[in-house]
Amino acid sequence: MRYYFGREARLRRAVETAAMSVFDGWGYEEIATPSVDYYALFERGMGHVEARRAFRFADTDGRLLALRPDITSSVARAAATLFASAPRPLRFCYAASVFRQLPHSRAEWRRQGRQLGCELIGAGRADADVEVLAIAAEVLERLGLGGSYRVTLNHVGVFNGVAEQLGLSPEAREEMRQLVDARDAGALGEFLKTLGRSAATAERAARLARLSAGRTIPEGTREILSNERSRAALDELEKLLSAVETLGLGESFSVDLSDVSGLGYYTGLVFKVYVEGAGARVGGGGRYDDLTANFGRREPAIGFVLDLDALTDILARRDFETRNGAGSPAAIEGDDVTERFKEARRRRARGERIKMD
Amino acid sequence: MQQDALALLGRAGVRVSAEALASRRLAVEDESGAYRFVFVKPADVPVYVEHGIADCGVVGRDVLLEAEADLLQPLDLRINRCLIAVAAREGDRAERAGVLHVATKYPRVASAHFGAKGVPVEIIELSGSVELAPVLGLSDCIVDLVETGRTLAENGLAVVETITESTGRLVVNRASYQLKAEAVGRLISDLTRAVGGGGAEG
Repeated sequence: MRYYFGREARLRRAVETAAMSVFDGWGYEEIATPSVDYYALFERGMGHVEARRAFRFADTDGRLLALRPDITSSVARAAATLFASAPRPLRFCYAASVFRQLPHSRAEWRRQGRQLGCELIGAGRADADVEVLAIAAEVLERLGLGGSYRVTLNHVGVFNGVAEQLGLSPEAREEMRQLVDARDAGALGEFLKTLGRSAATAERAARLARLSAGRTIPEGTREILSNERSRAALDELEKLLSAVETLGLGESFSVDLSDVSGLGYYTGLVFKVYVEGAGARVGGGGRYDDLTANFGRREPAIGFVLDLDALTDILARRDFETRNGAGSPAAIEGDDVTERFKEARRRRARGERIKMD
Repeated sequence: MQQDALALLGRAGVRVSAEALASRRLAVEDESGAYRFVFVKPADVPVYVEHGIADCGVVGRDVLLEAEADLLQPLDLRINRCLIAVAAREGDRAERAGVLHVATKYPRVASAHFGAKGVPVEIIELSGSVELAPVLGLSDCIVDLVETGRTLAENGLAVVETITESTGRLVVNRASYQLKAEAVGRLISDLTRAVGGGGAEG
């Protein structure tokens, strides 16, 4: 329940256009997905916990429908069905509204958000990860946010390897994830001890919540991670970091192995986007190699979204000006109505904004 | 909490002058000018930090449990240690065959606690002087913060059961943690040393 008009509406439109033109420049094709779809689609795509946030309703035959809570599910289905025989990789982009219920939220307007996103499907090599990170950076730079944004990288394998090694139940694993995510190393150590893990094991695992964020992988990380899966993930991250550094983007990227919120359907690289002026993240994405298998065709995929409303709010407080209609429209006066319309047409053709008085 | 937190920050090298504190202004700078302090009510601390108006905050765990704000909690400051407990009139075990009436300032903590035990409860949310509720017959028991137990005793109440412990915590905004990583990291390590855990608290 939020309206945009005037300067804000133009700004929002300009941000969307800028992002879409960056996607277009990288050869991504726009895809428009249905606003209303079967609930089962999103349950398969996002998992039942996330999908439950969708607004659900039934059609006259009693089939459960939902207002789309995300776009990635629909794109993944399209890739596995409509585009099953299209050559890989597939490159899709979109600017689309999503709808989610927000329990406890006092910001009810956030029930509707608009995602600017892209998906690269059928490419599993590290270059695909770099491509998507570079696109995200380019969108932010195009918006004039260069130097004031930070993309943090992590790999789900780091946390999953540790949880696996500890042999946790799904519930305990979720509890552990939340404690790592809150950086609450003290509580995490206590929690693991109550599960019967030795003090030494608990202490070492708890250090996962205390790894600082920075441009390199913190010293001593490899000692904490004594399992194969975490170490392989760390190697991947290290390669990615040096690729990003080579592209001259090092300043804007960092690694945070403790950032494990919303691992959801991700299977490899995960990343979050933060921008000065916003207290919460404004976007994120990652690799989701298993998702398309839910629709009958397993293949590697990676993508990300940016939150258009958050970006608009940040830019509205900066000097990002829109090209379109920044000035007030000129008024045309005169008694001869026909003459006024003709004059207006001539001037509009020159790109002026003209209002009939 | 404010006194203890300022003392701890002083040990970590962040000092606020006596004049600044005496001025009754709600926003003051520390002596180095590197930090700006904002003094707000405990329940408002998570709000300021979650929105990124303040990068970091000091607040009791009791408040955090109730606020369910999306914040980082990197450090237990070990100040203002108290208990969140169930208390009832002395000699009463706070057990009922039917619905238990619970008065509290902590509705989420209370319903989670009794919910986990499968005890049907009616939560009566109050904003202060919770100890009065069982005395006047508004509720069977209370869930409240217990520091010394003196207020409870004065009202003829006693702790029946401890739910959890609460101490002062350092909380950090998610975006500030990334965008001001160096400054936030320095504050966390200085505070960790001041707390005395030598980097291994918990």
